[in-house]
Amino acid sequence: MMPLERWLIELLLNIVTRDELNAFLRSPQNSAALVGGLIAVSGALLGAFLLLRGLSLTSDAISHTVLLGIVIAFLLMTEVFRLPGDTSSPWLILGASLAGVATVLLTEMLYRSGLVRQDAALGLAFPLLFAIAVILVSRYVEDAHLDEDAVLVGEIGLAWANTNSHCFSNCESVTISPDHDAAKFARRCSNCRELGISPRDERARFTEICSNCREYTPAQAWSAGLLEREPALVFFPKSITVMLVLTLLTLVFVLAFYKELKLSTFDAGLAQALGLRPGALHYVLMILVSLVAVGAFDAVGSILVIAFFIIPPAAAYLLTDRLSLMLLLSPFIGAAGAIFGYDLARGQLFGLIAIADGIAALNRLFDLALPEKWDSSISASMVLMMFILFLLTWLLSPRYGLLSTVIRRAKRRRVFENQVVLAHIHNHQHTATHEIELNVAGLHEHFRWSKQKMSRVLTRLRALGYVRILAGNAVLTERGDRQVHAFRKTMLEAHNMPDLSG
Amino acid sequence: MVARLTLSAADKRVWSIIGGIVLLGALFIPLSQLLFDMRFTYTVRVVALGGAVLGLLSGVLGSFAVLRQESLLGDALSHAALPGVAIAFLLAGRELSWLLIGAGIASWLGLRFLSAILHTTRLKQHTAMGIVLVAWFAAGIALLTYIQSIPDASQAGLDHFIFGQAAAIIESDVTLVSAVGIFVLLTVALLWKEFKLVAFDPEFAGANGYRIGLINALLSTLIVVAVVLGLQLAGVILMAGMLIAPGIAARQWTQSLDQMVILAAVFGAFAGAVGAVVSALDSDIPTGPMIIVVSFLLVLFSITLAPGRGLLWSRLRQRANRRRFAAINTLRDLYRYALSHGAEDYPAPDDFIRGVRASSIESGLRQLRAAGHIMEAGAGWRLTESGIAQARRDRRNQSLWDLYRLHGDELSLPAIQEDRQLDIAAVLPAAALELLESKLKPNESL
Amino acid sequence: MPDQADRSDPQESPPIALSVDDLTVAYQEKPAIWDIDLDVPEGVLMGIVGPNGAGKSTLIKAALNLIPRAAGTVMFYGAPYEQARSLVGYVPQRGSVDWDFPTTVLDVVTMGLYGKLGWFRRPGKRERELALHALEQVGLVDFLDRQISQLSGGQQQRTFLARALVQDAQIYFMDEPFAAVDAVTENAIVYILQALNKRGKTVLVVHHDLQTVAHYFDWLTLLNVEVIAAGPTAAVFTAENLRRTYGGRVTNLNGGLLAGAAGG
Repeated sequence: MMPLERWLIELLLNIVTRDELNAFLRSPQNSAALVGGLIAVSGALLGAFLLLRGLSLTSDAISHTVLLGIVIAFLLMTEVFRLPGDTSSPWLILGASLAGVATVLLTEMLYRSGLVRQDAALGLAFPLLFAIAVILVSRYVEDAHLDEDAVLVGEIGLAWANTNSHCFSNCESVTISPDHDAAKFARRCSNCRELGISPRDERARFTEICSNCREYTPAQAWSAGLLEREPALVFFPKSITVMLVLTLLTLVFVLAFYKELKLSTFDAGLAQALGLRPGALHYVLMILVSLVAVGAFDAVGSILVIAFFIIPPAAAYLLTDRLSLMLLLSPFIGAAGAIFGYDLARGQLFGLIAIADGIAALNRLFDLALPEKWDSSISASMVLMMFILFLLTWLLSPRYGLLSTVIRRAKRRRVFENQVVLAHIHNHQHTATHEIELNVAGLHEHFRWSKQKMSRVLTRLRALGYVRILAGNAVLTERGDRQVHAFRKTMLEAHNMPDLSG
Repeated sequence: MVARLTLSAADKRVWSIIGGIVLLGALFIPLSQLLFDMRFTYTVRVVALGGAVLGLLSGVLGSFAVLRQESLLGDALSHAALPGVAIAFLLAGRELSWLLIGAGIASWLGLRFLSAILHTTRLKQHTAMGIVLVAWFAAGIALLTYIQSIPDASQAGLDHFIFGQAAAIIESDVTLVSAVGIFVLLTVALLWKEFKLVAFDPEFAGANGYRIGLINALLSTLIVVAVVLGLQLAGVILMAGMLIAPGIAARQWTQSLDQMVILAAVFGAFAGAVGAVVSALDSDIPTGPMIIVVSFLLVLFSITLAPGRGLLWSRLRQRANRRRFAAINTLRDLYRYALSHGAEDYPAPDDFIRGVRASSIESGLRQLRAAGHIMEAGAGWRLTESGIAQARRDRRNQSLWDLYRLHGDELSLPAIQEDRQLDIAAVLPAAALELLESKLKPNESL
Repeated sequence: MPDQADRSDPQESPPIALSVDDLTVAYQEKPAIWDIDLDVPEGVLMGIVGPNGAGKSTLIKAALNLIPRAAGTVMFYGAPYEQARSLVGYVPQRGSVDWDFPTTVLDVVTMGLYGKLGWFRRPGKRERELALHALEQVGLVDFLDRQISQLSGGQQQRTFLARALVQDAQIYFMDEPFAAVDAVTENAIVYILQALNKRGKTVLVVHHDLQTVAHYFDWLTLLNVEVIAAGPTAAVFTAENLRRTYGGRVTNLNGGLLAGAAGG
């Protein structure tokens, strides 16, 4: 990871100064928005395919199972290999995501046994693995990066603080050995525990131990005050690197296999027949979902992450019919949700509405005493913001939105009512019973419509010049007759039928 | 008319399992005090009782969720309850009944929103459930984070609703839950017939004048009630598992809905009580996860060992079948070869018989030889007398089955399940068999 | 114009069991059936025949109030469905239920009586006897305790039939009872339907197989979104009507089919 970060920073230093870069990265908001945005981009790209394959809840499944992977890998790292506990270590990410994929395979086996339905297998296996993970966390893990709160919401607000430092000039590493000027010593009783005596006992023997002897990186040396000249440092948040790598990986995968993914999503059988190996693609997709879920765990926890997979593609799906557009739109929706979500956590909705005002109004209305300062979980707010964007899309999408659907349906219903009446008149106007069937006063009874509805439709038909009233009976005009035939033709063509009326 | 007064063997088995677990549950506390000298405090007993009541309720209603193929819906509903809990706390304070009402309303709104998405967009059910699940949950988390910033609110114990904390259950909670629970169970008992019909065949129910919409809505509401009541114990994230696991386990043991629901209730009560007690004794273990682990062990146990459906038995059955088929097929091959060469004891060369049926031949030959049906003859195999008799019986049985299929209707023989592996004489009444035998051609009869 | 072969002098005809008037049903404002008029006299065994997507099942479901109607009325012996419910028996498509549901054959048949029982009441001894009687008629008495997933397709269909028989209705609706059953079962089912018919019941069957139409049914409705023709099979089952129902696709079948029609 380090060389990659260094290369990236050098690239960035061509554009901005070091101080500007540090200032940018040290702002909690910028780091959080950047990490959230990257999760959103990679999640949305993969989620679009999950959605189209009817596997949206599989991301839920995977995010639950990778928690168990993370916990086991974490326990292995800390307890067996005695490494420092770091949930953004590449090894942990790799191991945990393998666990996620393995568990997906296991549940597929469970419902293939035929005893449990697929939804029941999903609904059963994932809570179980999650439950085991939670028990392990609460029983055996004592680490701030992996407690129950972190499992739920992550620590995206602290992404800026967990950094790797890179030094570019005046780089002095300092090693303090016992003979160094700055070495500090402490006296410690060397045989107290052994003999079970107190240090004041006369048998106590003492040794001098150097308390600050170790190697110092330039950054550590500077903050410990060991250096004269300030080194040129850049502090780069680890989460950004991890998510950047994963996003690039996802992007490369989707671009390189776009054609194959498209075909195997649409028609796996054909893809198989053409030799595109849809099965292998499926598992690569699952591995990437697992990787992103593990990589995002630090930032957003293991439950909220599914929003990054599900919501943005769902919103994009309501906007367009084309896969390429969907893949283009959903990362934007996700990233917008992440960026505006940070403001929401700090109490601002799109910078237009302040939540504090809302709470104040509530206090007045219900006579409560709630604190007006709104300072909430960043990751949850990002999810909520994505949900708000989804709601807006749902309401306003020109093609599939609620408003346009309501308008379109009303229009279609009007056309449909017209056609029902026209067909009825057409079918009966030359039969013996036409006096009964077509009498305007009784017409509504044949359709079981209300009188008002009938007269509304009749008025409309007369205004359109399709129908005349002749001696109290409804009769088609020539135009109306043509209309019936034209509609019948289109309707029956829809059923792949020859025209019957001719 | 066959009046069924005695219980079938399968029924007896299910009822004895139910009785056994109930007895074990009832005697759990006295027994463990007597045998292991464990002392349960009053608090632990209350917690155990609460866990049992909640487990029972979710077992009963979860069975219906499983049968309606709505296992994942429970997951969405329970996650969706969280913001309700938080808002109820903000408005009304820490009164359990208010918190539960809030949870119920939020969860119900989630359900409405879900069906609104499904009706007005082209999003599929999985996606829609995912959206409701995570959006409502995020709202809940955001509100809980806000609540933590309120002075004195941190002792409210709202985060117990996330993973469940049995130790927080007090006597008045158990009273409340039991009262609601009795009401729920009474409703299920009264509308048993309606729920069953609507779960099995809603279309037929509709044609029979039942108001399917109303009954479905009622059933969904009861499931929401069970989910909401269970939140304290299992928490929003894992409640779905506690809801469906007992039903899935119970389904393996029985073929009747009555027994399934009762068994699910017993399983649920068992898992709820054990999970609650373990977590009350060790405060490091949250209750919800513990209940899930116990429930899943029950499911695992049922899936492997339930008589009939269990994986273990079906594996064994498959193996036995494979063996039986190997023997009978080898016998038929040998007999056919012999007949085509003019004599029933004409030996078939070894490499021919291996060529016909490569995979199962070893097992077939071994079994036939052990039964004395064949013997080695040079580089081949010859049918012994008992082997010939066996082959003739088999051939005759197959011919009778053929005749049954051919003439069963015109002879108006009783309808039986066609299973050619069975001896037809064992499944067909003697009179009917005689009729069939009269149709046998002379050279096929003995 | 649809042939209305049954619109003769009302005094000579038997009473009208089912009367459909101007019925239109739409899915998403797209018509599935379109301004249908249909009168079915009492005591006929009627086939409803037409190509896929012609609205055959839709017609039955709309008649039984299972799906909303866009327009029109349906009367059973002159009364709307809500009042005539006890006169109507229904056999849904076999695929419409979960055959892994934990219940037995006898139990499923007893469900046919739930409608008569009404809210809250439970089936008792009398209902059990009735169900057993119905099972006898379809030859499944030996299977009464069998779990329904262990039945063959034909046995499942006969279970459904028994459930309808136990309703003791005057007019029966059957949605594709011959779908995916073997020839023996099909014969057994036809036999039961004809026995019902002999007892004066009216039976409506959604059917697929043109080869057997003339053999099975004495009354026929040809449907393709609209009613193409309805009336006695001998009058309706003509090459012209078939062409108008199916388009040109069945003309090559006509010779054999119509010879069968004339003979039957």
